[in-house]
Amino acid sequence: MKYVIVGNSAAAVGCITGIRKVDRESPITVISYESSCYSKPMIADVLVDIPEDKLIYRDEDFFKSNNVELVLGHRAVEINTDSKVVVLDSEETVPYDKLLISTGAKPFIPPISGVDKKGVFTFTELSSALSFKNYIKENGLEEVVIVGSGFIGLEVAYFLAKLGIKVTVVELLERALARAIDKKGSEIVEKLLREEGVEFIFKDSVSEILGDEKVSGVKLGSGRVLKAGAVVVAVGVRPNTELAQTAGVKVNLGIETDDHMETSVKDIFASGDCVECLDVTDGKKKPLPLFPLAFEQGFVAGLNMAGKRMKYLGGLPLNSLKFLPVPVLNAGIVNPPDSSYEVLVNDRFDDKGFYRKAVIKDSNLVGFVAVGQIDRVGILTNLIRQKIDVSEFKERLIELDFGLVDLPQWWREEKLKNDKTAYKDWRAV
Amino acid sequence: MGNKRKLKKVYPIEENCISCRYCEVACTMVHSKSKDPLKAYKLENLLPRATVEVKGAVSLSVMCRHCKHPFCFDSCISGAIQVGEKGQVYLDEEKCVGCWNCVLVCPFGAAHPYITEEKGHSFKCDLCKDRGFPACVEACPNRALVYDFER
Repeated sequence: MKYVIVGNSAAAVGCITGIRKVDRESPITVISYESSCYSKPMIADVLVDIPEDKLIYRDEDFFKSNNVELVLGHRAVEINTDSKVVVLDSEETVPYDKLLISTGAKPFIPPISGVDKKGVFTFTELSSALSFKNYIKENGLEEVVIVGSGFIGLEVAYFLAKLGIKVTVVELLERALARAIDKKGSEIVEKLLREEGVEFIFKDSVSEILGDEKVSGVKLGSGRVLKAGAVVVAVGVRPNTELAQTAGVKVNLGIETDDHMETSVKDIFASGDCVECLDVTDGKKKPLPLFPLAFEQGFVAGLNMAGKRMKYLGGLPLNSLKFLPVPVLNAGIVNPPDSSYEVLVNDRFDDKGFYRKAVIKDSNLVGFVAVGQIDRVGILTNLIRQKIDVSEFKERLIELDFGLVDLPQWWREEKLKNDKTAYKDWRAV
Repeated sequence: MGNKRKLKKVYPIEENCISCRYCEVACTMVHSKSKDPLKAYKLENLLPRATVEVKGAVSLSVMCRHCKHPFCFDSCISGAIQVGEKGQVYLDEEKCVGCWNCVLVCPFGAAHPYITEEKGHSFKCDLCKDRGFPACVEACPNRALVYDFER
């Protein structure tokens, strides 16, 4: 049995972990055009000079001890399903019996005129993060415009402000993180960023990037002109499905997989930011480019590739803002779409520095926000995942001391006494 | 991995718990530099890795379950959380960058955030690996914590 993995991030490491749970012997080959297995969510930290070795997610020892052959610095350009080989950009071929496509996502670049000028950057790869950092230093930049107020955009904005650079975030919607967090959460995040000197312009967009060869500023849809030595485009990512398409794999917005993470082509699996993932909160399949989900999908794919049939539990959208001094966490549905949802709020942010909100539908917790005091909120996350009936204790959900004693006794019996903590044990009850 | 897990871990028995919190004190003490409960709390600002929960007559001490499938391990972006040979789940506080994903995904609320002005990191039960026998179990006056093989 020959296992081949294309990509070398969370899903790939999850897959290796999954395969090795079942099959200790067969060789695994990892193909990646990048030079190391680093942590994608940590790349913005290069702006504040995080040591390179801290960025490493799995070191050489991991690959050695798991008997993984690394083919680094080469791009996989084609999958030939007849001869079951992956073709590299060097025209070499790597044969596979079971293949995982974990090619991640690529930044979405909106059609802005002048977006190809020198000084426009994206932030999904270490190399681009490093070249951005160098560009700032070499040109002694004092002003930067960030397009988009998602997690990446805000993190870059925060670190740049920390470096004393004037940062303006331009966002099409009316608030920061509008798609990820609720209104109060946005307010708190915006306040914390403004305190560092970040400026926001909402309900506006960059229509043109100004300058000859290099960026000198931006023109907004509203007609406003901002001076800027560099522009960071961070309006979101799209599944990277080019390689999958060469194999004739069914692709919608992302690669389509079944419950076992297998694609429409036999023996080809896919995981991570390149796939469409089942969202457990609404039952829809959609791209959910989140690190923990990528690892979990890769892990389940790995088990299945090695012959252990295991179904993926589905993904729960969750986020943690890791760069702010105040932790901001959320999971599931935080912006209820209609009045069939019940919302409970415990807002003591102004006097005690914490905020909690729970969103309930049909006796189930479907989402929450926790700011400031976050200890033990994973208990809430699991209530969403397992679809546990919370009607008996719902007013406790927004209390800081909510705990396992609030849950039904059968749950504690099953999880604590009987150790039901394997992957399959966390299905909806 | 691949071999049979033979992990011993700590089991809370809520029928026996009287919420005395000795486990919390013992835990904080043995993980401190001073090995002194008062100094551990007041000077080193340490917090217990076990949490005693109380609701009416029900109480129990909750600490990391060293899950067969640890969600914290899946979610750790820095590589700080690793699974040991027998299935122990360890968190390297030095490597941790304080992204709080483990806090966000632990179904038991057993990975805790430690936040200071300078830096934040998570911390959790390490089964007293440097000590050999879990201090919380030793400290419990009522056999509400037992050290036993995985079930």
